[in-house]
Amino acid sequence: MIFDKPSSVDLLAAVSHFLDTKIKSEVPAHLAFKLRIVENVLNIVSREIENGDELSDEVICQLQNLIESDTPSIETLALLIKDQKINLNDQDLKDLLVTLSKNKIAVDNPNYSTFKKLIK
Amino acid sequence: MTETLSKALQNKLLEANIKGEISNLVPLTGGASKEIWRFKVLTNIDTKEYILRKGSGIEGPLAIKTSDEALLQQEVKKIKAPVPEIVAVSSLEEELGDSYIMKFVEGESIPRKILRDTEFKEALSLLAFQCGEAIAKIHEVDISKLNYLQEKTPIDQLNDLYATYESFNQPSPVFEYTYLWLKDQDFGDTKSSLVHGDFRLGNIIVSDKGLESIIDWELAHIGNPFQDLGWICGNSWRFGQNEKVVGGFGDLEELLEGYNSISQFKVNEDLVRTWQVFGTFRWGVICLIQASAHLNGSINSVEKAAIGRRVSETEIDIVDLLFLGGK
Repeated sequence: MIFDKPSSVDLLAAVSHFLDTKIKSEVPAHLAFKLRIVENVLNIVSREIENGDELSDEVICQLQNLIESDTPSIETLALLIKDQKINLNDQDLKDLLVTLSKNKIAVDNPNYSTFKKLIK
Repeated sequence: MTETLSKALQNKLLEANIKGEISNLVPLTGGASKEIWRFKVLTNIDTKEYILRKGSGIEGPLAIKTSDEALLQQEVKKIKAPVPEIVAVSSLEEELGDSYIMKFVEGESIPRKILRDTEFKEALSLLAFQCGEAIAKIHEVDISKLNYLQEKTPIDQLNDLYATYESFNQPSPVFEYTYLWLKDQDFGDTKSSLVHGDFRLGNIIVSDKGLESIIDWELAHIGNPFQDLGWICGNSWRFGQNEKVVGGFGDLEELLEGYNSISQFKVNEDLVRTWQVFGTFRWGVICLIQASAHLNGSINSVEKAAIGRRVSETEIDIVDLLFLGGK
């Protein structure tokens, strides 16, 4: 990367901090709710930048072992399930769907109760 | 903006013989798809509070017209189920748009407040039973008068949801798997009933005595009544309290006890679980629908954009239910 500091994640953190410390107390109730959504969105983007590659690679690696394709993708897997060209009772398939779901929620909402329960 | 709205409200209220000065008109945090306003009317005799619920005129594929929500609640009121009293209804062509005005109901609708505040502690211990009773009452409504509602079998609904998911061109291996799994299930043999479609915390008003009123009828339809029981058990509606299966506050046994005390249809836990998976898939597709309104450029909304990233909540819930022994 050719860009100077702060990093994209640091910039997002600065915006979040500003919203939290300076703006939150100023907005009326119906906008406070939306402001929380805005802060959540910034956090999603930040987590995706930081961990997205690793989380995706883990899924693709597991997928490669399952479907023996040179170019494994989520789209291919979805199609294989749809056409029932893969055994739906295969434990490896179920494990993969669990990893996929865990890794997506790890970026989208790591505070989600089911995720917290499953990583305990 | 509020001045124009205030004027339109005044005119509409006159039709209902309510003459007075409108004050304290404020927007409330509503759902992602409707405007909700609270206001007071000062008459010669007293001051009363009302709520305006207003649609945009562009409904999602699963939603009914806001004015039809009002007609529906008037029917539900007849069987003495707890719903707000509607005072005026406006169609899309009128000054006020697709909307209705109802009497304000004292209580709380914000889920996290209900689950957290000590004033609701006692009410929460009764709520699952009361919800079961209320859901059973809804299912007793005479559907012959509800010709503005669509009737759908579980398989029709499932196929519609799947077609909607497919139309967004965002393949999900978990949703593909869920669709095939659901197609194989038994949804329970029963007769067609009024289904609220979104019965959960957020869409009910709770006081320190318990359930006061059922609101937000936009997803109502005619179909298999057990859908409402599975829906309120979905983890999406437990607001972090995932050990409490019913809405984050109660146990399934209490909900079914309340339901079976009134309903002519008896229901068991396995059936509710199947409908819970159905409901979770349905909420996932609704998230996709909401996000698509932002993605296709029809509305620029951070709220709708963000909801696209809630699809993964439903996926983790489904794999938990299907593969990991989740409840």
